[in-house]
Amino acid sequence: MAIVEGIVLATLLVVLARLLFGPTPWDRLLAANSAATRVLLLMAILAVVEDRTLYFDVAIVYAAISFLGIVIVARVMERAGGIR
Amino acid sequence: MIAWILVGLGCAFLIIGTIGIVRFRDVYSRLQASGVSDNVGSAILLVGLMVLDGLTARDAALLFLIALLLITNPIATHSIARSAFASHHEEGGGG
Repeated sequence: MAIVEGIVLATLLVVLARLLFGPTPWDRLLAANSAATRVLLLMAILAVVEDRTLYFDVAIVYAAISFLGIVIVARVMERAGGIR
Repeated sequence: MIAWILVGLGCAFLIIGTIGIVRFRDVYSRLQASGVSDNVGSAILLVGLMVLDGLTARDAALLFLIALLLITNPIATHSIARSAFASHHEEGGGG
């Protein structure tokens, strides 16, 4: 199971590079969405490996809050006509 | 065995999506790569985690997590694409 965690963590780091160097703001938003998905997967894998049900609740709340944040930031950028 | 096949398939989809996010040249192409492969990869990986050790109490939480992910992720992707399109962002531009 450690190799699965390693693979998800490696993809998370690559996506974070896109978040850091993304040329447009929508690239950064997309990378934040993907990074949130990967962090959620890491939490689920950790919950199954260490047999702790508490991590699932944290993952569910994390998914809801990241979804809200990304949708709100996208709507704000749409209203502002794009931040160059 | 089936669980490991599913988990490996999910990891493969995640890697393919990450390659797409890095290599594509356009915001909309990157949205395509990220949205599709993230959904499929994470859903298959979580189903693999469910299959891994029989029927336990945590399968309900994993099922709820899959449902939440499959509902919210396309909405977020669509919202980002709509924001980019409404702001007159051109295709092929922006590195």
